[in-house]
Amino acid sequence: MKRLLTNLFLFGIVFFVIDKFFYVFLFTSPNLEVDKRLELLINGKINKDIIVMGSSRGAYGIIAGQIEKETSLSAYNITYPGSNIEFHEFLLKTLLKFNKKPKIIILPIDDPSELVFDKTLNFRFERLYPLVKYNYITNELINQKEKNQLARVLCLARLNRGNFSFEKKKISSESPILECGSMPFINQINRKKFNFYKHLKKYNIKNEKESKIKAFLEFQDICNKNNIKLIYCFTPNFRPYNTDLEKRIKKISDKENKFFVYDTLNQLYKKEDYFYDESHLNIKGAKLYTTELSNFINLNKN
Amino acid sequence: MLFNTLDFAAFLSIVFILYWFFTKNNLKSQNLLLLVSSYFFYSCWDWRFLFLLIFSTLLDYFSGIQIEKSTNIKTRKFWFWLSIIINLGFLGVFKYFNFFTASFQNLLMNLGIHVNSWSLNVILPIGISFYTFHGLSYIIDIYKNRISAEKNIVDYSVFVSYFPLLVAGPIERATHLLPQIKKKRTFNYNQAVDGLRQILWGLFKKIVIADNCAEYANYIFNDSSNYSGSTLIIGALFFTFQIYGDFSGYSDIALGVSRLFGIELLKNFSFPYFSRDIAEFWRRWHISLSSWFKDYLYIPLGGSKGGKWMQVRNTFIIFIVSGFWHGANWTFIVWGLLNAIYFLPLLLFNKNRDNLQIVAFDKSLPSFKELVSILFTFGLTVFAWIFFRANNLQHAFSYISGIFSKKIFSLPEIRPTYLLLLLLLFIVIEWIGRKDNYGLEKIGFQFNKIFRWSLYLGLFILLFIYGAKEQQFIYFQF
Repeated sequence: MKRLLTNLFLFGIVFFVIDKFFYVFLFTSPNLEVDKRLELLINGKINKDIIVMGSSRGAYGIIAGQIEKETSLSAYNITYPGSNIEFHEFLLKTLLKFNKKPKIIILPIDDPSELVFDKTLNFRFERLYPLVKYNYITNELINQKEKNQLARVLCLARLNRGNFSFEKKKISSESPILECGSMPFINQINRKKFNFYKHLKKYNIKNEKESKIKAFLEFQDICNKNNIKLIYCFTPNFRPYNTDLEKRIKKISDKENKFFVYDTLNQLYKKEDYFYDESHLNIKGAKLYTTELSNFINLNKN
Repeated sequence: MLFNTLDFAAFLSIVFILYWFFTKNNLKSQNLLLLVSSYFFYSCWDWRFLFLLIFSTLLDYFSGIQIEKSTNIKTRKFWFWLSIIINLGFLGVFKYFNFFTASFQNLLMNLGIHVNSWSLNVILPIGISFYTFHGLSYIIDIYKNRISAEKNIVDYSVFVSYFPLLVAGPIERATHLLPQIKKKRTFNYNQAVDGLRQILWGLFKKIVIADNCAEYANYIFNDSSNYSGSTLIIGALFFTFQIYGDFSGYSDIALGVSRLFGIELLKNFSFPYFSRDIAEFWRRWHISLSSWFKDYLYIPLGGSKGGKWMQVRNTFIIFIVSGFWHGANWTFIVWGLLNAIYFLPLLLFNKNRDNLQIVAFDKSLPSFKELVSILFTFGLTVFAWIFFRANNLQHAFSYISGIFSKKIFSLPEIRPTYLLLLLLLFIVIEWIGRKDNYGLEKIGFQFNKIFRWSLYLGLFILLFIYGAKEQQFIYFQF
């Protein structure tokens, strides 16, 4: 028994020492990323008046740089395509923990998936993996059961197979990240064909996911407690506007929050060349929509 | 508490220390500790089902004693059938109730009779298929006078609930495990080291091979209509390695853990993908289940006595029942039936016992003929696994038609190079170790300690690098 325990102890020591050599991967991973926004957030470098949070609708459809020009307030976009409200809540907490609190937060609503299950909207863990050198990120992964407690002491337990690369990630030619954090579709070459969809689906409360509702309410609570003006905004889809979700969100949100809906009578939103696909604007549409949003912000600055 | 979690590592370490340091090699204390640990281990899933496990254990314990004690045939039969009916009844209710009611409703609807939907919201108690089979074999063996009933309730309860095998086997026999439980165990360094090595290999199979294959197999199977034929083939291949890595990895961990306590469990896998025909495959895949069905179903049905027709009938029965044992879904039944069909030509031409020894036993590489046989058998197995993995029969058929209708010769859309390299490493280690109990058993024995430790460290590091998110073991659902 003594021999076994001695060998196990020695094996553990050797492994522990070797593990430390893997630090190199921890520190090179963030440098290979093109999207640095989350790292900037953790490093307290996003101190702006207006912050746009949300998923692809905000990423492609709202140009923070244009808001800056049109409202004279500094703005930054930290939206992540394919992210859900739970992820937005995490980003909000991160923003407030490491940065100056903003005056306004804009949250584009995913119509109709904001509160219901949608496999395309997730907690974007893969955005966290390159940043596991930060204890804050590792702790979040442990809390979310993506990593186990060993990650607190072992380097290897922090890493994922994606970290074992020395190749820099590629910049998207379709929707590159601008300096303001937005990523509008600047290129329409690969655009798919789509049609104006007239049929409206009824929104069903029964399909709502409890965890999403909880995160949604938590998100607005945090804003309220920190005196941050919260603007829910609805971006155009390539179909008639459905008021169901807006009514639902109004029902569960606090009265002081603002709602901004695009100009549903504007005929330009029925033109295909303002869209990238059925659910997302292209840069032309994004510019039009951002101007409308800036006007709304200007009216509600105080 | 999964075998591939930190919780289990902590649990195992505590039980190991208590077992060897605090029971002072006292058999009664050792067995009591194993029983308490096993019940704790089981209750970590759902403590409510612990009562079911204890009830099943007590039922078989008392039935066994009554069967042995009684000289009256009627009384013996009463206790025998009581135990069998209640055990199978539990299995039927928890595992098959909804399947039978749904199938019956479908049948009536096809006949034009409308019935209201009637299903129960039943949670399947983990390990029920495994511990029920332990109990059944015990009762049948006593009834057939093959063994005598166990009088010590703690020893018998350890036989049924021993934590390394409780949730996914191997399906033990009283003749093999009970004598070990009743024998005093002393610490054996070589056995413990071998156990740790087998645990390491099991973890590698599960975490590195199965979980990584699962990621891609799930992508492809869950969205099969959008992939080319070549990608669908890759998806089926990934599932083939996933299920082997998952289940044989689990078995390796179970056997290795048990060795740490000085108890040898039945071998469950013996390099099945190197089989040269389907009969050999079934002698090497889930051995404890195959031999259970052989001893308690095939032979009582008449086995190979009574001519070819009886042999064919009985073979089909055990394959279909084996499929059904895996789950209440037609896909498993078709999977079993398909394997029976594969088996049929070997049976008809008396070729089912041609390949008893592992391939290339005294050579390092197989002959061309052997290689072709291996690949052919492997191909048949991969095809059958499509039914096993598919959500339903319609999904399985559309998957198969997708293979043959969409760009079968194009480059697959999903081809993770790192995983293909890992699979290659895995196959090489399994090939080298094919004559042993498990792939890693004797690899590196000829090296000095530094090289051997480097090999183990390398595998250990791979567990971390390629460790995907902790995944459930597939066979836990059965």
